[in-house]
Amino acid sequence: MSPLVWALEWRLARRRRRLFLLNVTVPLLLVLAVALASAPVVHAAAVFVVLFVIHPTFGSAVPLVRDAETGMVARMLRGGVPPGAYFLERAAAAALLDTLQLLPAVAVAWWGLGGRGSALLPLLAGLVLALWTANLTGILVAAVARSVAETALFAAVAALLLLHASGVFRTGPPGSVAASFEGAAPFRLLHEALLASGSALPTAGVWAALIWAAALPGVVLLLAPRIGVGLAGVALRRSM
Amino acid sequence: MLWATGVAYGYGSAPEALQEAELAAVGGEVVALLGANGAGKTTLLRLLDGQFEPRRGQLRRPPSRTPEGRLAYGFAGEDTPHLDLLSGWENARFFARAAGLDRASAEAAVGDLLARLALLAEAHRPVAEYSFGARRKLALLEALAHRPSVLLLDEPTVGLDSAARAALTALLRERSREGAAVVLASHDTAFLEGVADRVVFMARGRTRGGGRPRELVAALGGAARIEMTLAAPISSSPPPRGTGWTVVDGGSPLVVRADAGAAVLPDLCRALAAAGAEVRQVVVRPPDLSEAFRRNVGETLPGVAETAS
Repeated sequence: MSPLVWALEWRLARRRRRLFLLNVTVPLLLVLAVALASAPVVHAAAVFVVLFVIHPTFGSAVPLVRDAETGMVARMLRGGVPPGAYFLERAAAAALLDTLQLLPAVAVAWWGLGGRGSALLPLLAGLVLALWTANLTGILVAAVARSVAETALFAAVAALLLLHASGVFRTGPPGSVAASFEGAAPFRLLHEALLASGSALPTAGVWAALIWAAALPGVVLLLAPRIGVGLAGVALRRSM
Repeated sequence: MLWATGVAYGYGSAPEALQEAELAAVGGEVVALLGANGAGKTTLLRLLDGQFEPRRGQLRRPPSRTPEGRLAYGFAGEDTPHLDLLSGWENARFFARAAGLDRASAEAAVGDLLARLALLAEAHRPVAEYSFGARRKLALLEALAHRPSVLLLDEPTVGLDSAARAALTALLRERSREGAAVVLASHDTAFLEGVADRVVFMARGRTRGGGRPRELVAALGGAARIEMTLAAPISSSPPPRGTGWTVVDGGSPLVVRADAGAAVLPDLCRALAAAGAEVRQVVVRPPDLSEAFRRNVGETLPGVAETAS
């Protein structure tokens, strides 16, 4: 089957121009405020990476649960869309859309942190991989939530835990258990790439980001039928 | 093709919406579930659609895909959601393609149905701007577009004008002739008499017999429903009585069930005159499925006057 859901998501995005503009403007203004505040690089990078991860996690999970509540998820899956294709195409379209929406904010962040040219490529790679991983995380979060409020809570908790594991809030001493975790965490590449925008630091976490980005779709694909049944049940529970 | 026996289902901890349902529907047949609100019609349709599994009983359904790879089921509920930002055309084409049609077939099928259901004028407007009736037409169109072998329609005539009802009747007869099994839930007896091969009565979560509409109505003999518009409601209590007729609603219009049909009118008019009532208009309605339902089930369908005690 051709990627119907991918095409649908883009068609819908074209009709939501106001939302697109808001999703460009709000992160841009937040990043601009921090970039202009002369905050220490470590702090500024932490703020940026939190924003760049929370935005797609919420953006993936909340609309999915809202669609489940309206019965649209059940309709899609009963209407012949394979669950795996539904969730993965939706996440892929959202990740690319997020990339486009966040690019101006990321450019300002990179410039605000020092604007080193050599950091640009790792930063863009880290961004794309982080957005893809965060969108897939959002789908897994939506699968366990029963309402939009729960989804927002779980998305915040999941994103912040993964950010913490990625060493965004605290860097473990080399060789420590925390440092080992950080090496395997999904958002370290993005964090390191942001830090490297201001100084000649090597960017770590490439393999971890790649592995997460490659493995998480498999997890979603494997769980897709169960996630689909769960989300389809949301509308049923609401109709009771 | 579709077969259910002893099927029961309940939503959460609420009393079971469906307690004991028996149903068989084969390809080429239009089966109607007739019952009042809360009879369990929608729950049975949803079970047949595979939206959930029965708590008890046995249910046999064909596989979800036809051998050609098309979705075997078409379902239109009363609250079918749509992609409101997209047009009706875009919605219908998307769901037709998701159901297994290629682009050309999907567009041809959707174009044809938009014309037949008189939805062409609104086809390219966002669904968010649609009236209730247009949304209902779109839901029906989406259920029909991929030519499913099992069509499940919940209250399909709600919100439809008479032209759309006629178009739907023709479409369902056509699909049935092509071999589809059609099961629809409704309390629109006039529509059912025109489209259903068989009617299954439902009340309080149970199927309660049924039969072919013509045979069910014929079994009522000459019984008629007489509606009399009065200048003022009669004040006598109990309401007037006579041989062969019973007042089932003493308001205005006064509703009378007459076992011998219009022949009771002279006696009825005399009794009303004696009760001081002034008759302005008389409508004699021939026996229909509502009456057959009342006789067989002992309950009254919505929109039909309650039986007086």
